[in-house]
Amino acid sequence: MMKKWLGVLIVCVLVFTLAACGNAGKDSNNAITPEASSTPAEPGGNNAVTEEEGELLPEDGASLIIWEGKSQRNFVEALAQEFTEQYGVPVKLEEVENPDQVTKLTTDGPAGLGADVVVFPHDQIGRAASAGLVLPNDWFGEETASENDPNAVSAVTFEDILYGYPRSVETYALLYNKKLVSTPPKTFDEVIAFSKTFNDPKKNKYTIMWELQQFYYDYAFLATTGGYMFGSNNTDKEDIGLNNDGAVEGAKFLASLKESLLPLNTGDITFDIKKGLFIEGSLAMDINGPWSLADYKAAGMDLGVAPLPSIGGKPMSSFSGVQGYYVNAFTKYPNASKLFARFLSTKESQLRNFEMNGTIPANLEAVQDPKIQNDEITKAFYEQFSHSTPMPAIPQMASVWGPITAGIADIWDGGKDVKASLDNSVSQIKDAIASQ
Amino acid sequence: MKQHRTIAVLLSIVLQGLGQIYNRQWLKGILFMLLEVAGFIYIAPRLGGAIWGLVTLGEKTQKFVKVGKVAQMVKGDHSIFLILDGLIILFLVFVLLGVYVWNIADAYRNGKLRDEKKAVNTFRQSYEHATTFYFPYFMLALPALGVLFFTIMPIVFTVMLAFTNYSAPDHIPPAKLVDWVGFKTFVDLVKMKSWSHTFVGVLVWTIIWAVLATVTTYFGGILVALLIEQKGIRFRKLWRTIFIIPYAIPQLISLLVMKNLFNGQFGPINQYLGYFGLGGLPWLTDPFWAKVTVITVNMWIGIPVSMVLILGILTSIPRDLYEAADVDGASTLQKFRIITMPFILFSTMPILIMQFAGNINNFNVIFLLTGGNPAKGDYQFAGATDLLITWLYKLTLDNNKYNVASAVGIIIFLIVAIFSIWNFRRSKSFKEEDMIQ
Repeated sequence: MMKKWLGVLIVCVLVFTLAACGNAGKDSNNAITPEASSTPAEPGGNNAVTEEEGELLPEDGASLIIWEGKSQRNFVEALAQEFTEQYGVPVKLEEVENPDQVTKLTTDGPAGLGADVVVFPHDQIGRAASAGLVLPNDWFGEETASENDPNAVSAVTFEDILYGYPRSVETYALLYNKKLVSTPPKTFDEVIAFSKTFNDPKKNKYTIMWELQQFYYDYAFLATTGGYMFGSNNTDKEDIGLNNDGAVEGAKFLASLKESLLPLNTGDITFDIKKGLFIEGSLAMDINGPWSLADYKAAGMDLGVAPLPSIGGKPMSSFSGVQGYYVNAFTKYPNASKLFARFLSTKESQLRNFEMNGTIPANLEAVQDPKIQNDEITKAFYEQFSHSTPMPAIPQMASVWGPITAGIADIWDGGKDVKASLDNSVSQIKDAIASQ
Repeated sequence: MKQHRTIAVLLSIVLQGLGQIYNRQWLKGILFMLLEVAGFIYIAPRLGGAIWGLVTLGEKTQKFVKVGKVAQMVKGDHSIFLILDGLIILFLVFVLLGVYVWNIADAYRNGKLRDEKKAVNTFRQSYEHATTFYFPYFMLALPALGVLFFTIMPIVFTVMLAFTNYSAPDHIPPAKLVDWVGFKTFVDLVKMKSWSHTFVGVLVWTIIWAVLATVTTYFGGILVALLIEQKGIRFRKLWRTIFIIPYAIPQLISLLVMKNLFNGQFGPINQYLGYFGLGGLPWLTDPFWAKVTVITVNMWIGIPVSMVLILGILTSIPRDLYEAADVDGASTLQKFRIITMPFILFSTMPILIMQFAGNINNFNVIFLLTGGNPAKGDYQFAGATDLLITWLYKLTLDNNKYNVASAVGIIIFLIVAIFSIWNFRRSKSFKEEDMIQ
């Protein structure tokens, strides 16, 4: 008897599975069949209406999902609530850290599983835009371009199309412990002079540290003396300037610092170790970005921030990034998403984010606000930002990090010839780009 | 007198289920027929598209069209979805083809019964027959379907990716199409200097690592187990508990702790060495020492497993063998060499080979401890301690080189498969032979 019922059950389940398989196949099939996409104005009905009224209205029944990192939760949740009150569109936050967003969007976006509004640093925009994952910032394009810092605007633009809604700008600067350093050093010579009285590796006392393993920071040494990544605008993949005379000069100076400042191997300095030393007062200066401020303030440090010390009289040129919101190209509610991305990136919103999280606005008027002008730390970051180079955004960037990091490790850890190591890195990068 | 079977088969070939109806198995025939009709209705309009998709991988790219102030997205073909959808359709066709063949065989069998003037089963009888005699097959059919669609299909999909150029930045859909490139990815891995250098380097290290990691933990485990089982050892349980602890802590935690312990400047290990006036070692930052470190740490994690295994085997060795050896005046070493070691080897050889295969894919230790670092300038997206499997991870998740990653995946699969088959053969031969002559 038992067996009979089991048999019936199994047949039922079989039929159901087949039916379920069938349905799933059908849905995804619809999404990609050529017929389904042959009409250009597919979600057009709504736009026709908005066009006439000259106002962008959210779609009926729209609801949005935004991906943001943990540190921005307070800001996004507060603004989402206001947005819902104003437009009647509910917004849900899913935690995805910014560096992971494009990778996730590459697979989830086209499959219809991605968030409607996403946020990532601008160096990822080449990857995202050339893969067709984000919608252009068209409706609010003019406002976005005129209100924000031109550097930030060009950073969220790819191949002359504006995609992003800038959220904040960031770069690294010199963070120092005011108890150990009374006036921040203006030049690297001063740093070296200070280290003669302070450095004591046996007691783990160090003058200055940065994450040597991250070329993001090392770049500043190569760039100040004339090195560059991809041509003059950082868009020419044929012109790699990481082994030119300037870069070699900078790398030689960098290598000399191992003796005088930082007798450690590249891999030994991790973000957490550095943080620990800085908080306990064993480290006087830390090259770090605004993302680290919250931890240091929470630890009750007497923190000062200054622009990076100059090398050979030239201000040190750091890498800068622009965080921006983007609209997923596969969103069901493009209008609502654009409205929300805009809502999060207006002058007022950028200022609120500064108050809540200390992010540095990209909005020109926001920067002039007394709240920012009276904030020493933000001013120092902003000064460093004016000396910075935006990270290249072309997709070929992905081929750079590995080889150049290894080159720096060869020079720093292995004491290898500077020119030869950099040449090797560059030829690796060129090989990688050529093999694409 | 072969009429019925011929006619039934012919009818079933023409239309699935017709032969059954001819055999007067109405319900069964209708069920077969419905299945074929449903299959046709579902698959016929899709098959062309599926084959077109699999062959061309799409022809139109996605683009934006300006409508007034707003850019509209015009959807293009998504090569990867085309592969997946095509595969689903093809697999369904295979399943239905299987049913079709079954239907013909069934028509033949029942037609033959009629030719022999025997009664064919009624539906009720076939049903009862099926639920009693074929019950296990029904039970197996579900998981088999699951395996087909959730295991075999993804594998076929991955294998297919290795023959495309699905990689960043120029071939990531939906904005760009992916094309078939045949064996180009494999040829590049072997021939193109920048890839082949990395591939050979990582492969050689993977094999060295797998051998060393297996051998060290195995013999380490034997050593510890023998020491614990020595006659006259006190607190045996305590020793056992102590040595099992490393195994009880999740690797995720212990390996991250280890990473800090081995830090060249701030790690306690080098600090202690400093107290004794010794210079520290670049545990994680020098390519050679990083390799030494991962093998050492792997011993710490792997020895408890081997120890437990071998403790169990030691208790199963017949005592009288040792007693006889004692009577003959054998030394401890001789007893170990002639009795203990062959016994252990005999029982653990299959496990040892599987451990070796497992170590080839030992993702955790490398990824958590060194992350494949220290960086190696002349490697493509790999560091000095990267195994094939961690390299594959970097290729896919960090660099979107899905095609190279698939090719590497296939190669890993081949290596592991070879060891598994060899292992299977060995364990069979072991069964048939008597172990100690």
